[in-house]
Amino acid sequence: MAAFAQLVIIGLLAGGIYAAVGVGFGLVWGVLNIVNLAHGALVIIGAYLTWQMFAVWGVDPFLTLPIDAIALFVLGYAVQRGVINRIIRAPLLFTFLLTFGLNLIAVNVLLLIFKSDFRSVTTAYSGAGLELGGLVIPYIRLAALGIALVMAAVLAILLSRTRVGLAIQAVGSDRDAAQLVGIDLRHAYAVTFGLGAAVAGVAGGMIAMIQAITPTAGEPYTLQAFVVVILGGLGRVSATVVGGLVFGLVEAFGQSIPGSGSVFANAIAFGVMVLILVTRPQGLMGRLR
Amino acid sequence: MDPQLELKNVTKRFGGVAAVDGVTFAIGKGEILGVIGPNGAGKTTLLNCISGVYRLDDGDVRWQGASIAGLAPFRVARLGIGRTFQIVKPFTSMTVRENVVAGALFGSDEERPRLGAAFGRADSVLELVGLRSKADLPVSALTIPDRKRLEVARAVATRPKLLLLDEVMAGLNSVEIDDALEMVRAVHESGVTVVLIEHVMRVIVGVCARVVVLDVGRVLADGPPDVVLRDERVIQAYLGERYARRLRGS
Repeated sequence: MAAFAQLVIIGLLAGGIYAAVGVGFGLVWGVLNIVNLAHGALVIIGAYLTWQMFAVWGVDPFLTLPIDAIALFVLGYAVQRGVINRIIRAPLLFTFLLTFGLNLIAVNVLLLIFKSDFRSVTTAYSGAGLELGGLVIPYIRLAALGIALVMAAVLAILLSRTRVGLAIQAVGSDRDAAQLVGIDLRHAYAVTFGLGAAVAGVAGGMIAMIQAITPTAGEPYTLQAFVVVILGGLGRVSATVVGGLVFGLVEAFGQSIPGSGSVFANAIAFGVMVLILVTRPQGLMGRLR
Repeated sequence: MDPQLELKNVTKRFGGVAAVDGVTFAIGKGEILGVIGPNGAGKTTLLNCISGVYRLDDGDVRWQGASIAGLAPFRVARLGIGRTFQIVKPFTSMTVRENVVAGALFGSDEERPRLGAAFGRADSVLELVGLRSKADLPVSALTIPDRKRLEVARAVATRPKLLLLDEVMAGLNSVEIDDALEMVRAVHESGVTVVLIEHVMRVIVGVCARVVVLDVGRVLADGPPDVVLRDERVIQAYLGERYARRLRGS
């Protein structure tokens, strides 16, 4: 029983990170119809920003998260406005190629600046955890889950209750009609991508506190974001959060199967994704469009 | 009457074909103008030229005296030119009210309402088009006539000075057309210049004081409906003999 509870906790804690990584990816995919292959690179840029501020300037890593968000928003806005907007009406393959290329550029710039060494953010409280009846809950992961949930909630409210959120929803729903009610399409797209990047950056900052990072560490996160968004269902922040948590749980339980270990964890997680696609193609919480 | 919108030699080609070919006419403030013509005459293309969806190959579009040719669609919309689409394009992820709120929030350069004010405005526009009771429904729950109303409501919410309506009556039955006519009249009476693209002659005769007939991208006739609809060339190109006989008979 204790083992079961421990697995649930491990799964949810990991799921929080997956949700944080997936939310920005899902937003960009749902609104811009771009499967952003550079999403993992944005995550890792956030991670390196946190590492840089912590290791070089001694800033507490949690305090770096808002700075990650702002920096990545600016970067995301600029990339969308300057580069991706140019091919926004092109077929899907072009956006794949472009974001794939952006990913290569980002990874190699990181390699130039930070080299390929493993970097980690180790604070005084890094090893500490909450002990609950024999279960250990690491403080940092717990905080990361909380931050991920709060960030998703803020994003959901922003999208449904604010001027800029309604503009984003409108361009995501019908870009021609959106323009003809007076919405600046290029700006709305750039803000959307900027928000997606900002959330990715915060996710990256949290990842830097949890695992060692290298410039290429982002690529698995692109893949996981993809699975999480499909799992939950495209088009809603809350669905992506559920997708992330479910993905974390499936992975945790997959690893616990005797003889499985981390080798099969991914295979099991992706197996579940395929299963859900076959039985519920709109995702766990998605609506058919 | 002041010309509010002036089209001067407006031309749009696709490949070698001129879909709109040297169209020149002006629309006065407060007018309600019908644009008719056979399928492929360039009616919708002309609207797209006005609202900035297409770049002109030749000519000019002037709005309140200044050229708006080449402006992005959202800038044209913010200047006060609203439009609807022949095939309705609602924001399907939103409720009926939110669709109209989107129009109210972004439509105008002169006025940027706060969110609360935009909701208030949306409700009064929904009242005007008769959708108030369905404000909280998702768009998917609306019937086709109601979706057309929503299309008009969203455009009206942008506070247009000129509203371009692209076949809002198409596909409606005659009772629904009467309702829609009332709606167009109500919008017009609220002080909006209206351009109606329409195939339903009853609508044209019912509300328009002036009709422009397009054929193969050119203006074939321009004048009051009772004159234009008796024009031999218009009958040949568009109305057909049977309609002409009925018109003479009545």
